[in-house]
Amino acid sequence: MPEPAIVAEELTYRYGDLLAVDHISFTVSPGEILGFLGPNGAGKSTTVKMLTGQLRPASGRALLLGIDVARHPKQVQARIGVCFEQPNLYEELSGVDNLRLFAKLFGVRDVDVNALLRRVGLDGRGADLVGRYSKGMKQRLMIARALVNRPDILFLDEPTEGLDPTSAEAIRRVILEEQQRGATIFLTTHDMYEADRLCNRVAFINSGKIVALDTPHNLKQQYGKRMVRAEVVGSDGKLFTREIILDRPETPAEIADLLAHHQVVTLHSEEATLEDIFIRLTGRGLA
Amino acid sequence: MNAAAIWALIQKDARLYFANRLFALVTVLGLVAYAAIYFLLPATVDETLKVGLVIPEMPPALAEALADDAVVVKQFASAADLRAAVAAGEVTVGFAFPPDLFDQLRQGSRPAVELLLAPEVTPDVVGVYEAAARELSFTLAGQALPVTISEVILGPDLAGAQIAPRQRMLPLFAVLVLMVECLGLASLIAAEVEQGTIRALLVTPLTMRGLFVAKSLFGSLFAFVQAVILLAVTGGLAQAPLLNLTALLIGSVLMTGVAFLIASLGRDLMSVMGWGMLALLIMALPTFTVLIPGLAADWVRLIPTHYLVDTIYRSLNFGAGWAEVGGNLLPLAASALLLLALGMAILQRRFA
Repeated sequence: MPEPAIVAEELTYRYGDLLAVDHISFTVSPGEILGFLGPNGAGKSTTVKMLTGQLRPASGRALLLGIDVARHPKQVQARIGVCFEQPNLYEELSGVDNLRLFAKLFGVRDVDVNALLRRVGLDGRGADLVGRYSKGMKQRLMIARALVNRPDILFLDEPTEGLDPTSAEAIRRVILEEQQRGATIFLTTHDMYEADRLCNRVAFINSGKIVALDTPHNLKQQYGKRMVRAEVVGSDGKLFTREIILDRPETPAEIADLLAHHQVVTLHSEEATLEDIFIRLTGRGLA
Repeated sequence: MNAAAIWALIQKDARLYFANRLFALVTVLGLVAYAAIYFLLPATVDETLKVGLVIPEMPPALAEALADDAVVVKQFASAADLRAAVAAGEVTVGFAFPPDLFDQLRQGSRPAVELLLAPEVTPDVVGVYEAAARELSFTLAGQALPVTISEVILGPDLAGAQIAPRQRMLPLFAVLVLMVECLGLASLIAAEVEQGTIRALLVTPLTMRGLFVAKSLFGSLFAFVQAVILLAVTGGLAQAPLLNLTALLIGSVLMTGVAFLIASLGRDLMSVMGWGMLALLIMALPTFTVLIPGLAADWVRLIPTHYLVDTIYRSLNFGAGWAEVGGNLLPLAASALLLLALGMAILQRRFA
């Protein structure tokens, strides 16, 4: 069994009296995409900062690629790429110059910045000053910057937050390409659709603790409620909704009765979303 | 430390500096303006005293008493003419003796002598002119005091070689050049923090130490080169070049430390400018003591730039060398290293 790409052991961090991250432990396998889901202030960004060597844990430890992050942050940082939530590019420099600067910081000599720009849909705009880019273009350039050293692990903090569908789709495509290349991806997001579609596993974090960690499918199986929802014309001619829970002995008879004796207008299978499960587990939404 | 990474950061900072039109303009125009002002200021000091006299006749004794290269005597027909000449700045001081001066003296009465002065004459100098008026009156009355006065100049005798205004201003220009770069560097660092680019830099193999080395090199060398250009253009490097270059280099490091401190206090360009102006005022104070020597006080020595200004001023204007002002470099270097270390420590906390 290959060594995990990321190991978090009892990671803890405090901001004064506030326990931001509370003894969390998890592992991420090489080539896996782990979604880290939680509302604002849940501890997602603090966890990312500890994993990427930006913050030193109050207790516990993080190992990336077998290296202790707190002890050897620069060894780790040489092999990771980080895409921040807020654009933090040099706006007075061009896109190409931003990428070349970071390539030099990583000691990468043979980087093809134009190919990188092409991958994120910015070909032809590399010579423009970043200050003239739209928000979506800046976010795509941030992704390109995170890839400049061909990282073994990619940390993406809300990479598609507030982006237009085209930019968001371009970024999701790059994430999947990176996974195919073999990179491990740690993705924090609010977007349940994105997490469901991209992530091999998702972790729910709330108030600094991981409350669930599994594949989206298993979470839905474990915590979801399978049912069908029908819109039916009633005897008075008005529409009403009927829900039938699946996986019960009486379910087949209930469905047969519905179809036989009622005028069904629509019929949909329903499954719990990750957000439904999160609300069920924490009592609060992800926003 | 990775030299290629540090060089990349220095190049990046230079491009960002000149991408900021305000700093690019201030840097280029500043150098040109300082040099232009230097050359527009008088290169020599007019040491002659222009005296206006209204006097019935010039006795030989008085003519002899006033016979001095440094005194130019101009006679006027009336007190009204003399007043107009003083008001117009044609003469510095005027003595108007009454037309019947000698008759009054013969009769034993007390003639009134009018002393005419320009408005800017300071009270201590007024006293000197009053004494001169009495002395002239004694001479005119044939009662010159039977004393011989000998002059003793303590320190270098600057008669005929007074320090020109432009030479007094040169240390101020040098400090201003360094301070402008200090403000530029501080705003660059504050912008890195404000825009979050510092976080992006520090999740690469670049270490905090490497980052500070790059910033220090950029700030110090950039300021140093400009100060050297200014001194070279104004001829300031002709005198004790090694001493002055060393002082300027240490001064550049000092200002880089000040820039780190300003950047640690400022959150944006405006607050950097606010703190920067305060720092500029404090750092420029020692130059004012050169412009107005009477302003000098011991506490000025607490301001590190005193040692920079004193070194440049004395070496350029009095030919002072390592033996005379070399001792200035030690406190200058110590304060530069102290401010640099303090600035780095505070900034490091802000970066974390």
